[in-house]
Amino acid sequence: MTSKSNCSASNPAVETHELWKTFGEGETAVHAVQNISVTIGTGEFVALCGPSGSGKTTLVNLIGGLTDPTRGQVLVDGRDVGAMSERQRAQLRLDRIGFVFQAYNLLPVLTALENAEFPLMLRGVHRDERREEVSRLFEHIGLGGLEDRRPGALSGGQQQRVAVARAVLGAPALVLADEPTANLDTQASDALLEVMEVLNRERGVTFIFCTHDPRVMRRARRIIRLVDGHVERDAEKESGDLPSWVLEPVET
Amino acid sequence: MMERWLVITRIALRNLRRQLRRSSLTASAMVLGIGFLMFVRALEGGAHLMYVDTATRMGTGHIAMEHPDYMGSQDLIDRIAATDLATGLQAVEEVTRPEEVVAVFPQVNLGGLAQSASSSIPVRIAGVDPALERDVSFFADKVVEGRYLEPGDRLEAIVGVEVAERLRLELGSRLVLMAAGAGGELESQLVLVTGLFRTGVPEVDRGVVQIPISTAREWLELGDDATSMSVILASDDRTGQIATSIRERLREGGVDTDRIAVRPWWEAMPELYAGLRADAVQTYVMLVILLGIVALAVVNSILMAVLNRTREFGVMRALGLNRRSVGAMVMVEGVILTLASGLAGMLLGLAVSLGIFRDGVDISWLFGGDLAFAGAIVEPVISPAVLTVDVVAILSIVMAIGILATLYPAWHATRIEPAEAMKTDE
Repeated sequence: MTSKSNCSASNPAVETHELWKTFGEGETAVHAVQNISVTIGTGEFVALCGPSGSGKTTLVNLIGGLTDPTRGQVLVDGRDVGAMSERQRAQLRLDRIGFVFQAYNLLPVLTALENAEFPLMLRGVHRDERREEVSRLFEHIGLGGLEDRRPGALSGGQQQRVAVARAVLGAPALVLADEPTANLDTQASDALLEVMEVLNRERGVTFIFCTHDPRVMRRARRIIRLVDGHVERDAEKESGDLPSWVLEPVET
Repeated sequence: MMERWLVITRIALRNLRRQLRRSSLTASAMVLGIGFLMFVRALEGGAHLMYVDTATRMGTGHIAMEHPDYMGSQDLIDRIAATDLATGLQAVEEVTRPEEVVAVFPQVNLGGLAQSASSSIPVRIAGVDPALERDVSFFADKVVEGRYLEPGDRLEAIVGVEVAERLRLELGSRLVLMAAGAGGELESQLVLVTGLFRTGVPEVDRGVVQIPISTAREWLELGDDATSMSVILASDDRTGQIATSIRERLREGGVDTDRIAVRPWWEAMPELYAGLRADAVQTYVMLVILLGIVALAVVNSILMAVLNRTREFGVMRALGLNRRSVGAMVMVEGVILTLASGLAGMLLGLAVSLGIFRDGVDISWLFGGDLAFAGAIVEPVISPAVLTVDVVAILSIVMAIGILATLYPAWHATRIEPAEAMKTDE
């Protein structure tokens, strides 16, 4: 199935061509992603929805170069991720992509502030510049005063916000977020989503969310629904309402 | 780049602190292993210095000058002429600083027969300068009955206790020494036993007779010739270098190697040198096994730390840390752990060697009645000596353990695939 965005298809942030990811072999093989071809333009705000096990996380991992496709091709900024060396992929992730993982995945030996600024440190951003940016964002998303706490001393919601801060700081070209609001209350979710919307609107950052959260899907301007590794629906939307098919149960 | 190394080092240090119990246990193995190595080497270094010191003072000196054929023939025909002795002495003075040389003295050494009223046995007869010998060798200290030779003595002799026993000699007994003189004829000399010595070296106590060198020269018609000239140095550090310089200076002075062979102690006393080498090899083998076990403990500790943090390494890789940096992080962690504990072990070894055992370690129980090693006298108390070469070698060993023991865990960390790693439980 091939689906394209109308908005920035001429300048795509991500393209996948006939992408497959199969785990296992023979009769036990599981096709987590099956023949997905999508184009996501620069500056899009896209939600990937679908039931658990539909292949959302695998697709995001493939786009981020965290795992190799069984078949097919992934292009990020027009560059073939599969053709890159490990080193080039690591550099691509560092320079261009921000990740929010399903679990918070903070580094336990670093403080909240150090976790958030970790990619910026690796990029060599000056300490003062980093700290200023982190402080500003922390204040905005309700983490002010928690900078020196280790992840173990933060609540699940606070850890999730640190993980999101880590992904969006330095305004990467693309943010891949796997259930970014899963552990957050409404207020915290709205604050985070606002930050992301501002980055998207003002700095053209492309966002791809894996989500079950209707609040995220309402803000998305394009929703792709995956079922059993296929793209079942792919549609842009105008208003804040959710199309009825988003929450439809899967036909068996 | 600098930032990256800072963050890598920071994470490595905090992980060491985070796994405090495991880090401490691994560090303890290193501290004890390296501390033991340091102490054993210091003890062995001290013992070897002592062996060399006593052997050179009682035997050939740090450097022995003798006729090239004398070692094999033990014949007075193969002796050094008085003029060559003078050239040799001058050469020593020219190539050394005064403070480097303790003594330079000629000796007459030869095999002969000692006969008393009751029996006769083969002995080594040593003609020595009583005044110099008293200062540099330990024979005077080893006299157990009577007295040592003194300047002005002529017919006096001191003998090993077992020589005395075998010949049934007492103080004041008469003893006839027989040997081939310079002319090849058998010559005999009557002497009086004035002292008995016990060195602990069986071959010395059983077969050495010392008489004044003047008596030996007169008896054997040697004039001012001698069988050897010994150079005792204040330190063994430059022995080889000085021997080479003396050789060159003798050649320049017209004394070729066919007239005087200049031998450092390891050539003049090959059996002692071989003994020291064998001793060192034995120690190294034991210590290599010990440190191999310590290295395995380090490998195990670092590998466990890597396996427990698979998810974290996966996250770091996903965030853009490349394989090389992940490997470097593990290497830094392992090297810091081994270097810090290795240095602590060295300090422990130093404290034990130069603090607790600064007055020496009594090893007489190891040797029973015979305090000897490869023909050298062994003092019952060994003072540990920390040699620069050992400090450098042990530091290198610590670094090698740190790097080698961390290679495999670091390689393993670089193989971690981010997507798979993030599925693992902490």
